[in-house]
Amino acid sequence: MPLTRNRFLLYLSLACIAGYIWLALISRLKPEDIGTRYDVCVIHHFAHVPCPSCGSTRSVLALIHGDLVGGFYWNPLGFVIFMVMVISPFWIAYDLLTRKSTLFRFFHLFERTLQRKWVAIPAIVLILLNWAWNIAKGV
Amino acid sequence: MANAKYLEDHQMYYIRERLLEMDESKWRMLQFMQFNDPVIILIVSLVTGPLAVDRFMIGDTGLGIAKLLTCGGFGIWMLIDWVIIMGITRRKNTEKLMRAIY
Repeated sequence: MPLTRNRFLLYLSLACIAGYIWLALISRLKPEDIGTRYDVCVIHHFAHVPCPSCGSTRSVLALIHGDLVGGFYWNPLGFVIFMVMVISPFWIAYDLLTRKSTLFRFFHLFERTLQRKWVAIPAIVLILLNWAWNIAKGV
Repeated sequence: MANAKYLEDHQMYYIRERLLEMDESKWRMLQFMQFNDPVIILIVSLVTGPLAVDRFMIGDTGLGIAKLLTCGGFGIWMLIDWVIIMGITRRKNTEKLMRAIY
């Protein structure tokens, strides 16, 4: 099924709701249990090596508490997730109320931009560097 | 028609009809058209599931980022992709061909 505007908004809404539920559940745990006892990453679980996104939940939790340095330390990608989780509910509501497709158009623009070589190559390098840092930190 | 395995089955008749009607000038472009092999994409998906390389390869960059940031959707999205990625690859290939022949 092709990704239409309504389907995109539905998927993003569900992803945000799942993210909020996940944060609500995980914030009740002891900090040392996150990523160790309760491990949702397949790579980390089976290969005992962190993936590029490991530590994102702890990063978002740190950012929620206003700890920017902690958020960056756990995983810089947490900033991206935090921004998506904060901005997208308002943007989705705006698009639904005004019957516009601004978020869906932005998503396509983002995809096209990221597919350009001069953006894609630095992005891949940054992800790989972040992955190496994650492995070095032992997240 | 040699590329039939890369395309959606239910679109084949329509594509064939369209190719027969098509202008000769577009044939050269079609001959050099590259499609993603669904089997290769499935293997990539099986090997690098949480890293979303499969999604990036088929051009789903936005969804690829989402899958990468969520460790393969906590593994659930990765499992779903193992089942549906071949179909998605064929659909993407068909869409690419459709754009070229119109």
